[in-house]
Amino acid sequence: MISDYRQDEILQQIRYINQDDPEYPERFQNYQRMPMGLYVLGRMPDPDKKTVAIVGARYCSPYGRAEASRFGEALAAKGVQIISGMAYGIDSWALHGALQAGKAPFAVLGSGVDVCYPKESYTIYRRMIREGGGILSEFEPGSEPAAWHFPIRNRIISAFADIVLVVEAKLRSGSLITADYALSQGKTIFAVPGRNMDALSQGCNRLISQGAGIAWSPEVILEELGMVIEPEKQSDELHKNRKGKLPGDGVPGQQTAIKNREENVSAPRSGNGTWKERTRNLPQKYAHAEDFQKVFGKLTYDPQNLDALQQRTGMDLTQLTRVLVQLTFSGFVLESPPGYYSRT
Amino acid sequence: MFCSILSSAISGVEAVPVEVEADVSDGMPYFTIVGYVSPQVKEAQERVRTAFRNIGILMAPKRITINLAPGDLRKDGTRFDLPIAAAVLEAMGYIGKDSLRSAMILGELHLDGTIEKVAGVLPSVIAAKERGCSICIVPADNAAEGGAVEGIRVIGVKSIAELIAFSKGREPVHAQDPAEPDMEDYLVDFSDIHGQTAVKRAALIAASGFHNLFLSGPPGSGKSMTAERIPTILPPLNEEESLEVSKIYSVVGLMPKGIPLIRRRPFRAPHHSITPTALCGGGFYPHPGEVTLAHRGVLFLDEIPEMSPATLEMLRQPLESHEITISRLGGTCVYPASFLLVAAANPCPCGYFPDTNRCYCTHREVTDYQRKLSKAFMDRIDLKCDVPAVSYESLTERDSHEISSTVMRKKVRKAIALQRERYKGTGISFNSALTAASIEKYCTMTEDAAWTVRLAFDKLGLSARGYHHVVKVARTIADLDGQDQINDAHISEAICLRCSENFSAPMQIPGSNSIRAGYGGART
Repeated sequence: MISDYRQDEILQQIRYINQDDPEYPERFQNYQRMPMGLYVLGRMPDPDKKTVAIVGARYCSPYGRAEASRFGEALAAKGVQIISGMAYGIDSWALHGALQAGKAPFAVLGSGVDVCYPKESYTIYRRMIREGGGILSEFEPGSEPAAWHFPIRNRIISAFADIVLVVEAKLRSGSLITADYALSQGKTIFAVPGRNMDALSQGCNRLISQGAGIAWSPEVILEELGMVIEPEKQSDELHKNRKGKLPGDGVPGQQTAIKNREENVSAPRSGNGTWKERTRNLPQKYAHAEDFQKVFGKLTYDPQNLDALQQRTGMDLTQLTRVLVQLTFSGFVLESPPGYYSRT
Repeated sequence: MFCSILSSAISGVEAVPVEVEADVSDGMPYFTIVGYVSPQVKEAQERVRTAFRNIGILMAPKRITINLAPGDLRKDGTRFDLPIAAAVLEAMGYIGKDSLRSAMILGELHLDGTIEKVAGVLPSVIAAKERGCSICIVPADNAAEGGAVEGIRVIGVKSIAELIAFSKGREPVHAQDPAEPDMEDYLVDFSDIHGQTAVKRAALIAASGFHNLFLSGPPGSGKSMTAERIPTILPPLNEEESLEVSKIYSVVGLMPKGIPLIRRRPFRAPHHSITPTALCGGGFYPHPGEVTLAHRGVLFLDEIPEMSPATLEMLRQPLESHEITISRLGGTCVYPASFLLVAAANPCPCGYFPDTNRCYCTHREVTDYQRKLSKAFMDRIDLKCDVPAVSYESLTERDSHEISSTVMRKKVRKAIALQRERYKGTGISFNSALTAASIEKYCTMTEDAAWTVRLAFDKLGLSARGYHHVVKVARTIADLDGQDQINDAHISEAICLRCSENFSAPMQIPGSNSIRAGYGGART
């Protein structure tokens, strides 16, 4: 529950939208077992805009985290509404990405709309309400999250969406329930591919083998939604939205992505550029220091601890940590969990 | 006839002189011991009487009253057997009057009159010296221990017969104990550990500044191995410290035989099922616990999240004040407890987090497991290091360049010498003991370092205490480096080895922990 002094204020803002309300989503009438009404805090998703649901594992890897955030940000920047479940992991990172793009997303909760669960997501929760997004739930205000709420709220997430994107999922995962609902509701499913050896990617890879689209870049989804990208504008806009990043950290390779896909299949992470491009983008003062290049070159998207990095770089620990801390502060390296370092 | 013999009782880790008074008078044959004594002391009458009979001393049918003064001090243990016997012998005239006047006597009796060793000899000899005694008579097995005190003669006796002979001027002669073993000769060495550079470095820093260390890693990665080897790189105990530690070990009866003083740093590794009393000391009549036994050494707590929260929280006071006060009905004791804590834990119930392919714990399980360690407890730990699973290559590689304890000990000594000089006369002994005020005085930084730590404060969300930990550890790293000023490399290393609130929590919610720079954080 939100602390008491806020509660009254928030309770007043909650609206109940029943089936007769003009705001009740029209598309819900096509599906079975839709709720009689929805509680809303903030706005309802705009029915005229394209909507993408981003779901995935709560317990995600740094790769999933980065991908959820990237897709959320890139799609929101193009005016796509992002909807998710605000759970731990992928859901929260997708919403976070959308917020970074300045477009508030929507969340369907498994508790009352005034109950922020998990409570660690409170920052996102508040930003979504404040910045023009919405919190939706079919459960009465004040309802505590119950285990059985979560699978059934997934049908609402998929009902709102035009496309359901699964970022990371194990073979048995709640995200696959969302995908099942999406299938029965006739939605398109996309999955972010991963390595076969990663348990967290197996659910996604299986979805792909069953016919889901391969979400190798946000543009694929935009294309599926029928949103044509103007090459000139695109990189600028994305660039602008990646605030906090260093200049030159653009999106090379994307401009031609749509024109000639085959040429760019080798560019693995169009949002962040390829390896070489990223390295070139180290700021001037680093670029000359060999140590920085060396450490950055040995970093991967999988978190590695100091010992592993020390072995791979062969550097003195004092020198290595000096470089790591600098890289971390400037946003090139992420320390998560504490003591483990990965590329951002 | 009345006579009095000096002995001592143990209170805390100190000895308190006790007068053993014997009165032999006419009346119904009777033997009684008074003076707030425990059942063990009461049993002395049976041992004394039987021992006398077995060595052929006839006890006249008299009324014998023994009093142990002062009468308001609890007396425990078997150390009073010999002084009681001596007092009775003197009162009955077997020993010349006042022939044992300036001696303190301790020892346990067997029924055949031989003398068994007792606990707490060292503090007793010290007390005897302070009281002005010239001789201390102890069991022969304790003679080496007592002999560590200078300025007093310590006589080891093996039987009552020897005691009687001594009172008549014949000193017992016993074979000398073998020479003291080399104190730097440890059975384990850091070179046994292959690879694990970061862990060794963390151990080195911990030892150099006496910083508490937290090791986190999967099962079998070498956390215990590392902890066991930390005493090998600590400097040997100096005279004063050695006496402190020996006193404690003497009181609990853990002194190794034939060694006068403990010179090696203690290493204590209690099992995680330990009770609060066993860890911190206590009991109706207080006795020291593991924290006191680890005084001036290393206390290693493995599987620390498995320990009961009550036990763990008990550690907070000794970690802060380096002593522990035990107040019980039977008395209040202050035990020293200045130890280097090495705590080890798996990062999650299965132990493999953050390797998502091997770890099948849920997010909840991981956070719950880590939450078992309270913030208040984690706040008292300066250093954290991840101990990775060892690869086959590094395990089998016979690398002669593996850093050994001897090399590390040299570095530690250098760093500690710098600290001793810097903190001369301030009461601070190691960097870890720096207070907030003294940090400003002693931890001067270069401009770069100040900038780095400032960025860390903003971007890592360091707390004030976290900031102090980082600076203190950086001070130690600078000492290892032989530098007066802390530079940014020192600060960076301290930042990478800092102990954050959740020791290895997953970052599953944007901005919920860890470094936020990469994602701009949640700005609200």
